[in-house]
Amino acid sequence: MPLLFIGIPLIAVVVLNAFYSWPDRRIALWAGMAAAPIQLALAIADTVYCLQSGGKLTSQYIAGFSVDLFSAVVLMVIGLISFISLLVAKNTVKEGRFSFGNAILLLMMGMNGIVMVTDIFSLYVFIEVTSAASFILIAINKKRDELEGAFKYYLMSALATIMLLLSITFLFALAGDTSYSAIAAYIGGLNGNYPPALMASMILFAAAILVKSGVVPFHTWVPDAHSSAPSPVSVMLAGAVIKVSGVYSLMRIYRDVFLYDPALGRVLSLLGLASIVIGALGAIGQTDIKRMLAFSSVSQIGYIVLGLSAGSALGFAGALLHFFNHATFKSLLFTGSAAIVMQTGTRDMNKMGGLGEKMPVTAISSIIGFLSMAGIPPLSGFWSKLLIIMAVWKISGWLAAIALASSILTIGYFLLLQKKVFFGKPAPDMEHVREGPGSIVFAEVLLSALNVLTGILSPFLLVYMQGKNLL
Amino acid sequence: MNMNSTSLLYVIILPSVFAVLMPLVPARLKRAKEAVVLAGFAANLALVLAIYGKDLSFVSLWSGTGLEFSLKLYHFSGFILLCAALITFLVVVYTTVFLKDKAYSKLFYVCLLFTLTLVNGAVLANNLVVMLFFWEGILATMFVLIALGGKNAYKTSVKALVIAGLGDLCMMLGIGLIGWISGTLSMDGIRRFPLSSPLAISAFILLLIGAVSKAGAMPFHTWIPDAANDAPLPFMAFMPGTLEKLLGIYLLTRVCVDFFDFTPGSAMSLLLMSLGAVTILFGVMMALVQKDFKRLLSYHAVSQVGYMLLGIGTALPVGIIGGLFHMLNNAVYKCCLFLTAGSVERQAGTTDMHRLSGLGKQMPYTFGFFAIAAASIAGFPLTNGFFSKELIFDGAVESGLLFYIIALVGAFFTAVSFLKLGHAVFLGKPAADMKPVKEAPAAMLIPMGLLSLACLVLGFGQSAVISNFLQPVLHEAAAGEHIGSHTNWLLAGISVGVLTLALIDHLYGFRKTGKGLEAADHFHDAPGLRTVYKWAGKKLFDPYHLGGYFIRAFAAVSLRVNDGINAFYDIYSVRFVGMLSGLVRKAHNGNQARYVLWAVAGLALVAAIFLLPL
Repeated sequence: MPLLFIGIPLIAVVVLNAFYSWPDRRIALWAGMAAAPIQLALAIADTVYCLQSGGKLTSQYIAGFSVDLFSAVVLMVIGLISFISLLVAKNTVKEGRFSFGNAILLLMMGMNGIVMVTDIFSLYVFIEVTSAASFILIAINKKRDELEGAFKYYLMSALATIMLLLSITFLFALAGDTSYSAIAAYIGGLNGNYPPALMASMILFAAAILVKSGVVPFHTWVPDAHSSAPSPVSVMLAGAVIKVSGVYSLMRIYRDVFLYDPALGRVLSLLGLASIVIGALGAIGQTDIKRMLAFSSVSQIGYIVLGLSAGSALGFAGALLHFFNHATFKSLLFTGSAAIVMQTGTRDMNKMGGLGEKMPVTAISSIIGFLSMAGIPPLSGFWSKLLIIMAVWKISGWLAAIALASSILTIGYFLLLQKKVFFGKPAPDMEHVREGPGSIVFAEVLLSALNVLTGILSPFLLVYMQGKNLL
Repeated sequence: MNMNSTSLLYVIILPSVFAVLMPLVPARLKRAKEAVVLAGFAANLALVLAIYGKDLSFVSLWSGTGLEFSLKLYHFSGFILLCAALITFLVVVYTTVFLKDKAYSKLFYVCLLFTLTLVNGAVLANNLVVMLFFWEGILATMFVLIALGGKNAYKTSVKALVIAGLGDLCMMLGIGLIGWISGTLSMDGIRRFPLSSPLAISAFILLLIGAVSKAGAMPFHTWIPDAANDAPLPFMAFMPGTLEKLLGIYLLTRVCVDFFDFTPGSAMSLLLMSLGAVTILFGVMMALVQKDFKRLLSYHAVSQVGYMLLGIGTALPVGIIGGLFHMLNNAVYKCCLFLTAGSVERQAGTTDMHRLSGLGKQMPYTFGFFAIAAASIAGFPLTNGFFSKELIFDGAVESGLLFYIIALVGAFFTAVSFLKLGHAVFLGKPAADMKPVKEAPAAMLIPMGLLSLACLVLGFGQSAVISNFLQPVLHEAAAGEHIGSHTNWLLAGISVGVLTLALIDHLYGFRKTGKGLEAADHFHDAPGLRTVYKWAGKKLFDPYHLGGYFIRAFAAVSLRVNDGINAFYDIYSVRFVGMLSGLVRKAHNGNQARYVLWAVAGLALVAAIFLLPL
């Protein structure tokens, strides 16, 4: 069963390229658009299975792939975001559609691998697959700023790769194995008396994964890559890639391998808080709509990392829920920005204005997305932030208070964006602007509905999980 | 006793029915609105006369509130009801002529009729909340009645509303307190509650404030002289002249005689008497220096309340009877005096005493009625005012010599100021620049005549009035004591002496200045008093005015605080965040070397946080 998540995109890519002379080059996009919903359906089935049984699914053929509840939720996110990204791509990608479809399929495969592997070296391999596919996607139009964004991402990733490999080497040397369970057993057996090599490997691993997650001060590639990438790629990056290759890995390793090490928790809480504040401040200062959203991703990922740093089941649940919610509201906002950039031809918010009456669906869905991100009940973002703040409150009141107060900054850049883009009278050269194409509007409505639905269902879900002792 | 006598409801509803009819009266029909308002007050008088002397009550649940809507007619409330009905009927007869040509007369009549409904309701109420309901309603009609007087009147009506509203607020709190400590809001149920606990004393004082502020005692009086200038004159005869005194003193008597165990010599008795004494003195001293007919009268309306408070404050049967009798007498002569002021205003076109002179020959009837009413208020022997003041003096002598002396000083200045007023307006030669003035029409003269006649009749029949109407008000123990023919010859002699002194003083002043108007100026110019008058002229004794300063200062400070808070939110915090975000933006300059450096520094930071125990 888990092998399907690797197999479907892999076979699709092989088949697409084996028969090179397709009559319509858009076939790769169609293939992706077929693969993504299938993955979503399979992942939902897995999630339900894991929720009910409390167990996990293991591959029968190749050992080392397994799906538990955590993985299943992330697989769902990957399927959903890939689908949304392809919906956006349908109308915004004009050239290189074949390559684009292939790269998206490879990206899906890489992320699915990250989510399912059970040993740290395989994790590294799939992270590299994901990164390579991302570089291609960012620079797919080969324009100057796209190449620059891809290069910045590449350089940071190279740094991360070095640190990650070093860390894995130390761990392999110490534990004699690279599987999660073996390393965890080794660390658990030390009772806190860590040899220096283990400490070094923890530090290196944390730094490497924080680069991938875009946490301050390793976040510098995030605004450049997100803003210069084509719109559907931005959706993919913000909605899935940085969270799967970065945050998922961090959550998985920190919980299952490093066993909530408190010293590492301190690192995560402080850097998470720094991300929340600096990301939000950075967002306020931007005039480029996609850069603003990218900085806000830095800020929101700070919340996830902060929740994780609490080192409790509650904090982990909050982090995972925020993981999911961030995927829905941030991809919603990037989808909206895709529509805006497509219709107005600019990313500069100072040139926009009064688009609310021209693009009503985009305007309203953007308000829903932002309100959800700012944590306004009953939208989805409220519940995950609530869990995170509650978990952090038990560790430190100050951390919780600062994290909570930073929500005001979120509202601040939300209002800035709404005012500049949607409110007021349309600027003279914005008269011709119309609502985005059907596929994008569909994506916006779908994601808005998800935000509202998740928000309304969250309390029931939490009560259910509490009944199952999962919180 | 009939428990559900709907006739009590009719007494309350009837005036309102006429008030509602008023707007339906076609404007083309001449005298139609006057006919409606007269019919309303006449019907009210007839109904009150019909039920007078009976003991009736009406009880029904006030739907949904859990409170009883209960009314009760007994000798005291019936007596107040009758006084109000009689006097207001006479004033309305006068008013229909006085306001004949005024555009606002219709609205004025509507408000008068509604006021009558509210007053009847407040007097008949047998539940404190029901009474409060009607009592508060008077605020609204009073506001409109004053505001109708013109542009300046609006400010005065706001002032009246604020002051009366404050008094009513105190009363509301008092009602809440007494209801809480006694466990009932029924006015029958609260019997002589002991004034021993702080809560009981607070409730007493709050109710006291409610009652005396309605009656117009210090320091709740300041809107009355302003209203005298601005409001239509019939309002003055109606509200401060009659109805408010009746209501305020009625409630004060209920509070002191029925609700609380109010005993002679107690602290509360001293408090009430002091309030009365201060009111007498302040009111009369201000009246003394007024140069306007209506304004002078309005200060006397304040001053006379002081006698009632002093009388009731003694807590002695003789004092309480004197206070109540004085309430009745004051309503009669003060109303009559306001009406004479009105006829002077209407016939001569002004009430400014500088411009009035020698009207006695041209308006002989008005002068005659004025003279009788003025003699009553000054306490000339055998008028009604003489007898009620003697009773109050009697009570005051027993309670403390100082109070008696202040009351006597008040009597002296009352006489002086009315000698001055009568002399300036009606005697002397007619003013050169004044056109010949005609006597007022009969419809105005008859009410004045009847009221001045009442002054004499009440004086002659004082013994009967007291034993029939006032004595039953006292609670059982004191009701048996006979007060009617009780006359202390020594005190009466002193009073006559004081009146004689007043006449001598007036003649001295007249001789000195040669003008009736300036006959009392030697008091105004007396050393010491002059300064006090200057302060009064600057409104330093007007709590409303001082409160205005406070409110303005408070508002200015609040505005500053608000601006500061706004600046913090709107300017400084935004600027601060903007500065920080500017720093973040500038730091992200796109230089890859810098970014790699940050990442390496970040690795060091991670190591540092990881390794250093915090």
